[in-house]
Amino acid sequence: MLSVQLNTLFVPTYLLFAIPKRVEIAKEKKTVKEKEAAHSSEMTRKTNKQDIMMMKKKSSRRRGGAQKSDLASDLALKFSKRYEGKMQTIPKVPITSLDDFSIWYTPGVAAVSRQIANDSDSSFDYTNRWNTLCVLTDGSRVLGLGDIGPEASLPVMEGKALIYKYLGGVDAIPIPIRAHEPNEIVEFAQHIEPAFGGIHLEDIASPKCFEILDALRESLQIPVWHDDQQGTAGVILAGLYNSLLLTNRRLEHAKIVLFGAGAANIAAARLMISAGARPGNLVMVDSKGIIHPEREDIDHMMLSNKWKYELALKTNEERRVGGLDDAVKGADVLIAASKPGPDMISPATLKRMNKDGILFALSNPIPEIWPKDAKEAGMKIVATGRSDFPNQVNNSLIFPSVIRGVFDVRSRSIPDDVIVAAAKELAEFTRREGTLSEEHILPTMMDWEIFPRTATAVGAKCIEMGIARKILSKKELLGRASEIIEHTKKTINSLLEAGLIEPLPKQNTKKKRKG
Amino acid sequence: MTKQTKENDDQEREEGERRAIMKEAKRSFTIRPIRESEADKAAELVARLKRLNSEFDPLLKTSDRLDSDSLKMMKEAIADKNSVVLVALSDSRIVGMAKAVLRDRIFYEPRKEGAIVEFYILPEFRRGNLGRDLLNEMVGTLKKRGAMLITAEFPSQNEIAKKFYTKLGFRSLTNVYAKQY
Repeated sequence: MLSVQLNTLFVPTYLLFAIPKRVEIAKEKKTVKEKEAAHSSEMTRKTNKQDIMMMKKKSSRRRGGAQKSDLASDLALKFSKRYEGKMQTIPKVPITSLDDFSIWYTPGVAAVSRQIANDSDSSFDYTNRWNTLCVLTDGSRVLGLGDIGPEASLPVMEGKALIYKYLGGVDAIPIPIRAHEPNEIVEFAQHIEPAFGGIHLEDIASPKCFEILDALRESLQIPVWHDDQQGTAGVILAGLYNSLLLTNRRLEHAKIVLFGAGAANIAAARLMISAGARPGNLVMVDSKGIIHPEREDIDHMMLSNKWKYELALKTNEERRVGGLDDAVKGADVLIAASKPGPDMISPATLKRMNKDGILFALSNPIPEIWPKDAKEAGMKIVATGRSDFPNQVNNSLIFPSVIRGVFDVRSRSIPDDVIVAAAKELAEFTRREGTLSEEHILPTMMDWEIFPRTATAVGAKCIEMGIARKILSKKELLGRASEIIEHTKKTINSLLEAGLIEPLPKQNTKKKRKG
Repeated sequence: MTKQTKENDDQEREEGERRAIMKEAKRSFTIRPIRESEADKAAELVARLKRLNSEFDPLLKTSDRLDSDSLKMMKEAIADKNSVVLVALSDSRIVGMAKAVLRDRIFYEPRKEGAIVEFYILPEFRRGNLGRDLLNEMVGTLKKRGAMLITAEFPSQNEIAKKFYTKLGFRSLTNVYAKQY
């Protein structure tokens, strides 16, 4: 029988959500649940309410429409309190008698510490460090809420940890910190490096997020990932690969306009260039218009946002000036990650693009233009950030598997080429499945195979680049990633079946709640 | 090879050649004294410089009349015997400028000073050798006019300028402290 003593062994402790008190049964809208259940058609184990809960947590961010998000908000408030948080810590070693503690704790554990003292990298072998991810934020740019601070960002970080565990088998620990200056955050990450296998930066405002990511990529010996930058850029690239294929284009020649110059599009431009796009063929547009090296504010840009400045110098070979309309004339692709629409981009603007145009309208919660209107204006392929339209550009497709992959080979970093490899694998997955079409350029989170496969591609690339501490064959990588993810799902399901994770209350079909 | 891919390859080669030519043109500059007709272009660069300076300190905030004042100053400098204005051209376009004034230091040796008071290059032409070449050309011109000491003035917080001049052997000589009342 597990005793209370266990809590003292595992530091730090996190909110438990295992055994909630009895609560009133809530009335829920049946249609939302049905819709979610319909999405989960390809699962290999039975659909359970925990999946729905998890999907709600993720998609409440992407779903639009006041009704739906009101409902999700109500449920989120109610259930987060009912379960007293979303994540907990569980041992992975057996405890059958008090004698076991002499192995897991003193005096036996001293030998393990001695071993690691001799070779600090063996901490990856002897502790859970190899699979533990620090989800680091200062709460300065959380979802659409802005600077709400560290405590308020906790639910979002917990949600991220949930997705990491469920889709990637990664043990992610939410670490919101009370720090604001980039150098403070960088120093914190440097100080906490020994505890973790990797760092995931989340919801940190731009442009300090660029500075922090660059500094940490350079100074740490564990992988660092900023999802708002690299996750979005990776999935954009994956979708772009397939869009270009469907419209008979090549990345090296494609004329691409990026509307919005925040974290997502700056990272997307950089990643596209790493993947082989010609910088001169990219045109970036921000709220002031086309970014070019003779714009009046260019020197201000040099001092306040050098990542944008660098792109100003490298992109837009034709040195176009003006606004979005001037940028898209003769363009093949428009990637919009700007302000919510639906009037940010007009059909008239899209008509100026080349035939068979590609549009990614990614703003949240309302895309820059409704997909229907974009299609009517001549776009061949349209993607958004929302799950209720085809072609959802969803970071969750990539970050659990990238981290799974780098963890399985104990990589020291995540260079751009590794992210490109992940993007390629995502794109190829849809092709291999035979489901590639204009309405389906990316897999969805329900395509559970993408996670171990992408992790494999990532691990293999790290090994090829010489940054892996552990060398495995592709077969071994795939086996390992699959095994870890399956094991996680089995564990969660067992807890559910044993009633140790209490299911969501049954919906009352008689009284329907009005959204 | 299909016709389509051959056309693509030809297109690609032509594009590559065109790009290489453009790059070459960008990298070869002409540096010479300014002509009267070039006053407005050079004045635009001066206005950009002053706006850049305003990034470093609120006391360097530019006035509303920046553009007209820059033009006026530039015309005066071109006419002034004690001023030297050089421009850098790329493909007959003015992409950089430098202005210096000759001063008598009165109390100190050497007496004649060439003070570089404005120095600006458009962003896309920086980070090459143009800055160094423009500076060297200016130094040469000032020395021919008798200057034995060359100085350069810029806002205290401008680290880029500090690095630039330090690399070329300059060091900090005097300071200007300021307070607004």
